[in-house]
Amino acid sequence: MVNPMSIEELPHTADVRRRILADSREELFSLAAQAMFAVLYPGECDVRSEKIITIDAEEPEDLLWEYLSELLFVSEVESFVVCETVVRFTNSGLVATLRGEPFERERHEGGREVKGVSLSGLSIQTTGDMMSCEIIFDI
Amino acid sequence: MQKAFSSVGLHEWDLPVGYIPDMRVSGRLFLSESLSESLEDGAIRQLANVATLPGIIGHSFGMPDIHWGYGFPIGGVAAFSEEEGIISPGGVGFDINCGVRMIATPLKVSDLGSREDIIGRLYKNVPTGVGSKSALQLSGSALDDLLALGSKWAVTEGYGLADDCTRCEEGGYMKEAVPGNVSEKARKRGIPQCGTLGSGNHFLELQVVSEIQDQEAAKVFGVEEGNVCCMIHCGSRGLGHQVCTDHLKILEKATQKYGISLPDRQLSCAPLTSPEGEKYFGAMAAAANYAWANRQIITHQVRTLFESAFGVSYNEMPLIYDVAHNVAKWEMHTVDGSDKRVCVHRKGATRAFGPGRSELPEVFHKTGQPVIIPGSMGTASYLLAGTETAMEKTFGSTCHGAGRVSSRKEAKKAVRGAAVSAELKKQGIIVRAPSGDAIAEEAPEMYKSSDEVIRVVHEAGLSRIVARMMPLGVIKG
Repeated sequence: MVNPMSIEELPHTADVRRRILADSREELFSLAAQAMFAVLYPGECDVRSEKIITIDAEEPEDLLWEYLSELLFVSEVESFVVCETVVRFTNSGLVATLRGEPFERERHEGGREVKGVSLSGLSIQTTGDMMSCEIIFDI
Repeated sequence: MQKAFSSVGLHEWDLPVGYIPDMRVSGRLFLSESLSESLEDGAIRQLANVATLPGIIGHSFGMPDIHWGYGFPIGGVAAFSEEEGIISPGGVGFDINCGVRMIATPLKVSDLGSREDIIGRLYKNVPTGVGSKSALQLSGSALDDLLALGSKWAVTEGYGLADDCTRCEEGGYMKEAVPGNVSEKARKRGIPQCGTLGSGNHFLELQVVSEIQDQEAAKVFGVEEGNVCCMIHCGSRGLGHQVCTDHLKILEKATQKYGISLPDRQLSCAPLTSPEGEKYFGAMAAAANYAWANRQIITHQVRTLFESAFGVSYNEMPLIYDVAHNVAKWEMHTVDGSDKRVCVHRKGATRAFGPGRSELPEVFHKTGQPVIIPGSMGTASYLLAGTETAMEKTFGSTCHGAGRVSSRKEAKKAVRGAAVSAELKKQGIIVRAPSGDAIAEEAPEMYKSSDEVIRVVHEAGLSRIVARMMPLGVIKG
C-alpha cells in the first residue's frame, strides 16, 4: 500500500505531480514506481509473478527517468500490473524486480494511463538522511 | 490581468522580453480579464521559457485555454525559422497528434431512442481505458503502411469514406513520416492499440447541433441545426508516447552537442536541420499518422454501430473535419512581408487557417478551415472557422478546448464521480466511464468556461463561431 508519508500529491493543473520522500535511493525508486502505478492501477494487486529489468544510465535523475519509462513500457506491452518493485543499484545503473500479476479488465480497470514521465523539474535532492524528488506524470 | 503583461489589443497581452533572462521574443497571450483570474504562474513561466528557444519567430503565443503543463504550456504555439530554429518534443507532448474530429449524422435527437442504450453500446464497441486492446490485428508491414499513410491507409483498407481524408488536416497524413524512425518499442505498443480511445481527457461524445451562427459556413461544413453529431478526442496512444520518450533522450544529448542552453529539460531540442532534429520530425510525423488512423478506425466503429442501431447509411455520416492539437509542422507564413517556411509547434492548440490557403481542400477556400473546439464534459462544444486574423497574428492558430482550471487532486476532493453523473443525467446527458474518479477529474467545474474561451477567440478574431453543440452522452476511458 502507498505510504502517505512518503508519496505526496502536489497540485498540478493538467497532469499528476508527486513528491517522493525516502530514506534511501532504493526506497526512493521503489516509491516513485509505486506512485506511478497507483495512477495506472488504483485497485487491488496480488503478487503472482516477477519480472526483472535492467537499466543503464550515469546520472541519478536519468536513471530514475529511464527506470520509470521502462516500467511503463513493460507494463503496457506485457499487460502486467506491477504491485511493487525492488531495486538494486549496480555499477552501470540498476536491476529491478517487478512483482505483480497479469492485467484483468474486471479487477484492474478504472485507472488513468500515464503517457510519459516528464523531465520538467525532475531532480533528486538529499537532505540529511532523507532523499526526495518531484515527478510530473503526463496523463 | 497580472502586472507583468501590457495590453496590446482586445484580449491581447504582451509579456515583455526580460521577464526571464534570455528571452529572444516577447510572449503574446490572448485572454479576457475573467480568464486571467485562473492564469497560473507556472503557465506564464512556461510561456516565457519558450521565448528563449533558438530561432523563434514573432512571439511565444498562449491561447485563452492556456494552462500549466511541462515544456511548453498547454495552449502554447511557437514558430521557428528553417535556418536557425529548433524542434522540441516538449512543444508537441507525449500524445503526438492528440486531436479531435466531428462526424455528422442525419439523425434527430428523437431518433436516438434510449440514450442509455446507445451510449452503452458505444462503450461496449469502442475500446476505452487502461489496458484496452483493439480488435484490429495489425501485421508489422500493415503498421508500416499505417505509419506512412495515416487516415489514407485506414480508408484504403475499408475503414472509411473516400472523402474522409480530404476532411482531415494534412489530408489525414503527414508526408514527411519516416516509419523507420519509429522504434521497435513504439511499434510493440502501437500494434494492439489502433482503434482505442485511451483515458484521461479523451472521449467520444454524442452531441446535438443546438445553434447555428454562420449559416453559410455551416452549410459548407455540413452541419444542420437539430442534427446529432459525434465528436471523437484521442491521439497516438502508446506508440506516440514511446516516440516522445525515445527522442527526448536523443534530443537531450543533442541539446548539449549543439550548445543550446535551456531553462527546462523537457524543452530539449535540436536544430531543425540537424540529423537528430530530422530524425525526431520523421518519427513524430509517423506517430501523427498513427493518431489519424486511430481516429479513423474509431469513426468506422461509430458509423457501423449507427448503421445497425438506427438504419442510417454509412455514407450519410460524413466527416466534418479532423484537427490536430499536439504537433509540429512545416508551414508557409508571411514573416516581415515575405513568405517563409517555418516549423510551427502547437501544443494544446489548433490550426485555424483562413480563407484561400492552398493547404485547404477547395470546399473550404471561401470559409477557412473548420476548427473544432470541444467543451468540458457536459458543456457546449463549438465549430468555428479559421480566419485571416489568425494567419496574421498567431501563425494560423487558435485554442483547443476549455482548458483546465483545477488539478485532478482538487477535483477528486471537490466532487464525486457518481454525483457528477447523476447531475448530468438530470440534464439528459449520459456518462459511461470505468471509474468514478475518471468522471470526477473531468467534471465541468474543473475547466474554464468553454463559452468564455470561445468568446475570446471569436472577438480577438483568431477564429469565427459557426455552430454550437450540446452534449447528449459521452464515453470516457
